[in-house]
Amino acid sequence: MLHNKAVIAVAAVFSIVSVSALAQYKPSKPVEFVTHTGPGGGGDVLARFIANAIEKENIAPIRMQVVNKTGGGGLTAMAYLAEKKGDDHTIAIFTGLWFTNPLMRKEAKFAMKDLTPIVRLVTEPALVAVKADSPTKTLKDFIDAAKQKPGEMKQSGGSIGSRDWLVRQVLMKNTGANWAYISFPGGGERIAAVLGGHVNMMVIEPQEAGEHIRAGNMRVIAQVAEKRLQAYANVPTIKEAGFDVINVPQVRGIVAPPGIPADAIKYWEDLFAKLIETPTWKKYLADNQFESAYLRSAEMGKFGDSYSEITRNILTEGGVKVAR
Amino acid sequence: MDVISGLMQGFAVALTPGNLMWCFVGCFLGTVIGILPGLGPAATIAMLLPLTFKMPATSAVIMLAGIYYGAKYGGSTTSILLNVPGESASVVTCLDGYQMARKGRAGAALGIAAIASFIAGTVGVVGLMLIAPPLAKFGLQFSSPEYFALMVMGLAMVVLLAGASMIKALLAMMVGLWIAGIGTDLFTAESRFTFGNSEMLDGIDFVVVAIGIFALGEVIGNMERREEGQLLPVPKGFRNLFPNWEELKACRFAFINGSIVGFLIGVLPGAGSTIASFLSYGLEKAVSKHPEKFGTGVPEGVAAPEGANNSETGGAMVPLLTLGIPGSGTTAILLAAFILWGLKPGPLMIQDNPQLFWGLVASMYIGNVVLLVLNLPMVPLFAQILKLPVHVLYPVIFGISIVGVYSVSGSLFDTAMLAVFGLTGYLMRKLDYPSAPLILGLVLGDSMERALRQSLMMSQGNLSILWSRPISAIMLAIAVLILLLPLMRSVDAWRLKAIEENG
Repeated sequence: MLHNKAVIAVAAVFSIVSVSALAQYKPSKPVEFVTHTGPGGGGDVLARFIANAIEKENIAPIRMQVVNKTGGGGLTAMAYLAEKKGDDHTIAIFTGLWFTNPLMRKEAKFAMKDLTPIVRLVTEPALVAVKADSPTKTLKDFIDAAKQKPGEMKQSGGSIGSRDWLVRQVLMKNTGANWAYISFPGGGERIAAVLGGHVNMMVIEPQEAGEHIRAGNMRVIAQVAEKRLQAYANVPTIKEAGFDVINVPQVRGIVAPPGIPADAIKYWEDLFAKLIETPTWKKYLADNQFESAYLRSAEMGKFGDSYSEITRNILTEGGVKVAR
Repeated sequence: MDVISGLMQGFAVALTPGNLMWCFVGCFLGTVIGILPGLGPAATIAMLLPLTFKMPATSAVIMLAGIYYGAKYGGSTTSILLNVPGESASVVTCLDGYQMARKGRAGAALGIAAIASFIAGTVGVVGLMLIAPPLAKFGLQFSSPEYFALMVMGLAMVVLLAGASMIKALLAMMVGLWIAGIGTDLFTAESRFTFGNSEMLDGIDFVVVAIGIFALGEVIGNMERREEGQLLPVPKGFRNLFPNWEELKACRFAFINGSIVGFLIGVLPGAGSTIASFLSYGLEKAVSKHPEKFGTGVPEGVAAPEGANNSETGGAMVPLLTLGIPGSGTTAILLAAFILWGLKPGPLMIQDNPQLFWGLVASMYIGNVVLLVLNLPMVPLFAQILKLPVHVLYPVIFGISIVGVYSVSGSLFDTAMLAVFGLTGYLMRKLDYPSAPLILGLVLGDSMERALRQSLMMSQGNLSILWSRPISAIMLAIAVLILLLPLMRSVDAWRLKAIEENG
């Protein structure tokens, strides 16, 4: 692992040398920082946090202006970025939705491969939670119940193609069980459905679940993560619970418009490499129980390709029409 | 007494000069953005959030909450004066508020809106303070079937919003329901009526439709009638700019109705203030002695929705503070803010941070007084806007509408949609179709469809889930009663006529 990093670092140093001989990119005016969520949404909060942290830690010569390009589940923001071809003063924050949504929508004019990958920043683990007084003690209990009474167990979650839906699909395929998936647009409604006993289970972010667990209203039966989270050291991951399925992470990172100069890519890679070392960032990750998953542009591109492939398969197997 | 000592502690927190100042700042900012159409409290709070990182959490909560409930005070101003709904929840205020303004009672309407907001806002805080935890538990019993029944009850209001022709009202409602159906289907990820436009995948923003149909439709219609030179009457004399005793007396029930309906709807995470304002308007009209006058400028038609809109804030704080469940866009941002300040919103927050909870409650009492003091003196000033000649006023309304819509999404596509709905509004006026049922269909359509399909997924397609649960059964029964109301009235009319003829 360490060795790998060293190799990458060396390679990166070489690429700096070769590029910086030509020109040294530095932003010269405020940078537009695009997010597809409206004010207060997940992407928006993260974008504003990053813009602030960069300012506070004083690691960039300019200010970053958060721009909300809402609509079409990220498609509007993607199109906005794609049309700014060559603009090296615009970056955007992406989520897993930016991979899945273009696959599902024939209206999409652009996909992630039309944009310039910059860095991957974090992956967000999740928990499989039930109401505290539920008879379901383990993930196996839930799956068994679902097998016994097909369609009667219920999960509350987001829209089709969201991470909670993907987790359900891989689990159902692996076990042959079948349970209902009830979409709620708001995170609050999903939790309310579990706490009110109207559904049996949900996939929830650790930070969202924390207080409900501490108050004894909710219980965690498994975690959607590669390795156990510190705060839930005695709860098995899905794999450890005996279900050998691929881990579906929620990812977030940075992309830029297509066709920007190599030294601009380099500049952003380095800026975010600096950001993730700051105490402000580390505290943010700890508070939200995100996992640092920094990848530079080239690997981020590869990751994107494989992520698209995996989700494409899950979608087609789940009976969703794939548009491209 | 826990409550009294808690409240004393809260006032001790809220009355420190610093917190008092932040409360004022929040209320002031809220009023301003409430007046500006488009830019809502959610966006404002998100933008100001970074500024609060250096503040103590309690001061920050006090300020941001001030923006939240302050915006609801301000929202009525443009509805009443210009027929431009400032926020989605003040659409209903247009119905009678703007008509009052046209009759020269703009000042009275603004004053009643402020007073209703004050009373209901305060009742909302009392509710939050006294019965939050048990009420939050009750709210959890609501799930999709109950929400469906609630929406049906709301939709039944159409019979109360209809003008001369019930058929036209129903048609307008259907169009509203159709517009609500545009966009991505939540359950199958299928696109509906998007015509290949990615801009339409999220559906059509409510604000675009409301501003187009109300504000632009009205202006275009008036331009055609060549109202130029004919100013709206603004009475002279300071006293005539405020509501008179009769008007206030007419609002007695509306103040109570708005306060209670708004608070109860606010507690439910899946409802929202727009529904609250429609329901309380409908209720007000249903029990009124002169329902036929609604829509022509009756003060209680302003007081009920404005009250509901404001006590909804107190209600929405209940699930947020006691369960950590946000019910609306704005409370979701407040939740995000709590986390960024290092607080842990959830079932234990009040217990862990009593000074924050009680400080906030106390500041909301103070904030409501601040808002009343801030808003009432502005009433005569705002009423003067109507003295502008129409060749100045109409372009101003156009400008405000376009900027308002653009500021929501920053998309030119929405601005084009605004033009479409402006023309729709004009045609509806010309052909005598009421616009309120369309808006009602649009507000309820989306959540109603969602609730119905969620219910059926829960019951595996068995329709009986809708009436086998007690709460939803009661609400469905009320909906049927509302639908039968006009029928009973006409039966009554026949009966009286028959008696007359016989006698």
